[in-house]
Amino acid sequence: MAKRRSKLKKSKWLVNAVLAVICLVWSIPTIGLLVSSFRPAADILQSGWWNVLPHREWQTVEQLTLPRDTDLREPIDVKGQTYTDDQLRAGVTVGDERYIWENRRARLLNVQEKHWGAITNFTTQNYEAVLGGKEYKIALPDGGTKTEKGSGMGQSFWNTMAVTVPATVIPILIASFAAYAFAWLRFPGRRSIFVIIIALLVVPIQVALIPILKDYTSLGLNGTYAGIWLAHAAFGLPLITYFMYNAISQLPKDLFESAFMDGATNFTIFSRLILPLTVPALASISIFQFLWVWNDYLVSLIFLGSQPEVQVMSMKIANLVGSRGNDWHLLTAAAFISMLTPLAVFFALQKYFVRGLLGGSVKG
Amino acid sequence: MFGTVLALSAALSACGGNNETNNTGNTGGGTNTTDTTNQGGTNTTTPDTAAGDSYVAKALNGDYKGTKVTMFGPFTDADEQKFNASIKEFEDKTGIDIAYEGSKEFEATISVRVNGGNAPDIADFPQPGLLKGFVKDGKVIDVKSFLTDDYLKKQYNQSWLDMATMPGASGDVYAGVWARSSVKSLVWYNKKAFDEAGYKVPTTWDELMTLTDQIAKDGDPAWSIGIESGTATGWPATDWIEDIMLRTTTPENYDKWVSGELPFTDPVVKNAVKKMSDIWFNDDYVYGGRKSIATTSFGDAVKPLFDNPPKAWLHRQAGFITSFFPEGLSADSFDWFPLPPIDAQYGQPALISGDIYAMFNDRPEVRAVMEFFTTADSLKTWIQSGGVTAPMNGADPSWYANDQEKRMAEFLSSAKTIRFDGSDLMPGAVGAGSFWKGMTDYVSGTVDLDKAMEEIQAGWK
Repeated sequence: MAKRRSKLKKSKWLVNAVLAVICLVWSIPTIGLLVSSFRPAADILQSGWWNVLPHREWQTVEQLTLPRDTDLREPIDVKGQTYTDDQLRAGVTVGDERYIWENRRARLLNVQEKHWGAITNFTTQNYEAVLGGKEYKIALPDGGTKTEKGSGMGQSFWNTMAVTVPATVIPILIASFAAYAFAWLRFPGRRSIFVIIIALLVVPIQVALIPILKDYTSLGLNGTYAGIWLAHAAFGLPLITYFMYNAISQLPKDLFESAFMDGATNFTIFSRLILPLTVPALASISIFQFLWVWNDYLVSLIFLGSQPEVQVMSMKIANLVGSRGNDWHLLTAAAFISMLTPLAVFFALQKYFVRGLLGGSVKG
Repeated sequence: MFGTVLALSAALSACGGNNETNNTGNTGGGTNTTDTTNQGGTNTTTPDTAAGDSYVAKALNGDYKGTKVTMFGPFTDADEQKFNASIKEFEDKTGIDIAYEGSKEFEATISVRVNGGNAPDIADFPQPGLLKGFVKDGKVIDVKSFLTDDYLKKQYNQSWLDMATMPGASGDVYAGVWARSSVKSLVWYNKKAFDEAGYKVPTTWDELMTLTDQIAKDGDPAWSIGIESGTATGWPATDWIEDIMLRTTTPENYDKWVSGELPFTDPVVKNAVKKMSDIWFNDDYVYGGRKSIATTSFGDAVKPLFDNPPKAWLHRQAGFITSFFPEGLSADSFDWFPLPPIDAQYGQPALISGDIYAMFNDRPEVRAVMEFFTTADSLKTWIQSGGVTAPMNGADPSWYANDQEKRMAEFLSSAKTIRFDGSDLMPGAVGAGSFWKGMTDYVSGTVDLDKAMEEIQAGWK
């Protein structure tokens, strides 16, 4: 008995260790991004984010000025030893010391020793620029400069909300109705319609873009919220219907029979029984759809465009880097800000998440 | 077929002297609405270059008040601010709302929009090669349907007009109006350090190579080069090749090369690439050595010039690179010289790029806005804030923000040979595909010269 328990403990320990490693590997890029988002752009170019951790690094303790007429193409004499230029460029280690060029032109040589060090130069500038809007210094004809402030994330945050919330609720509502019908109502063509909907899962959205855009143009739906709700709802429906069908069809049959006996209508059954019983499934598919719409770039790009009154965050962020990508360092901060809402949604709904994922498969 | 369209007349007549006339000819109906918000002492009266019944005159008269013209283009950010500032006065006076929408995905999106029937009224194309497809399909409105030949000739030099003429569904179409241009054949340097070190601006290729060698002897790599640009990695290398092509062969050969008649595998092209490799592949000449070229972002590549002390000394890039300069750099601490001639007989050519505005919907207010964009006034505040050169005549040299930019305009107007960025004119599969990729492979050392040229040439098939 005792032996078994220790075995169990051991395997649990192993599982935890493996999970810890996986978690670490998966979160390292995110941590790197977070650290970088607080570093000035010039520093990011100079050194990696991991240098914020204490580590041994070469630090200059002394500078040697070699004679001005030192020929770099000949062996170079440093403290009685000769080295080639290539060696001094890469840094040559002698005992505890390292020689490396500081400035070849001035024949200035750094003598370095290993010391503990860590980068401590942080800034919130990136976040300020992303949240408050970038500042553009525009030269005026009289020689002065005018500072124009670009728009911050505020407007696009609300735009994204205005797109995402309805684009999550609408398809889930419709799909739940549909899933209930497919699972428990008898009507002609039920199976074939269901198969068609499932088959729609494999249609890539790219092939639908231009035809839908043509229809939208004639209907005047381009660049409107209604248009993008419709697009997201349509693209999301097959998967959500399938997912909800799995959850709803697993509910025990007796439940519906007794409800029917008591004289409940289909709508009552749906709203009083199905909805409460499928909360885990609803929560997890909500997270999926919410994340998908929140992070969506393509559908917004085509149907919504980048007019400031409707522009969503993913597009705003893409534009933040500037016409020629000169402000790439803002992406780190912008990525974190745009992650906040999905994270909040995820943590709010996460207790249902795993249950919902397993919901269809384990019961049965 | 491409060749006939792209052929540019070699000579651009010097035009600086006539610049005043357009500004002073203020005789249109628009003066009564002169804006009173007179910022920074600029003269805000609008010149009326066209006849009194032109669309601009009607617009200034208030005929199109309350209408909206949509524009779509690739520039965002600071450029968008500058653009909006430059059209503000026109909007205020005419009551036309010009709604600009900038997207990083312009090239991909414009096709979807046009084919989906949702074309903007006006679109800004930095690559005439991309516009050509739409013109061929008959989607673009011919500018000549509302602007006369005489008027256009007055506004633009013949080369620009030739570059805007493209084959349409039925006959040649004047596809759009040139709104901005940028000079590419520039070598930037840190003026203060350059002068202190006692270097002289080279005027021939040999002098340039001597200088490069001198700097190497003094202990620094002369050049800082980077061609990394995300999915567009390799484009700065194509600019180098184009610039060297113009300096090592005839303009006619260049046009043939751009149109696909002269293959990349031809010795003429290979010779140009070799000239470039002389600098690029010498680890003493390039900051970080050859291996760093393909992984250094083109925007970061200029920065070592302004380190103290400079880590590199020369950087060849178009005029826009000033927006990548470290902040707080004063205008007297940097300068440029034109990439020197290689073969004296081909002189000092200028490689340029530009943005052409094409019109997709024909409404009177759109015509008025298009006509407005042919005038130097539509670019005035942008020129003053820096970063562009005017393709149209009539821009006053005194508008340019600093001496460097004024000299760019002069360089452009005095150059005997002017050619448009070849890779922007080639079909996308080559100009924005195999050319970029082939050069990147060549520079990073995965393929040799012959192989790289074959790889690029394969894009034409």
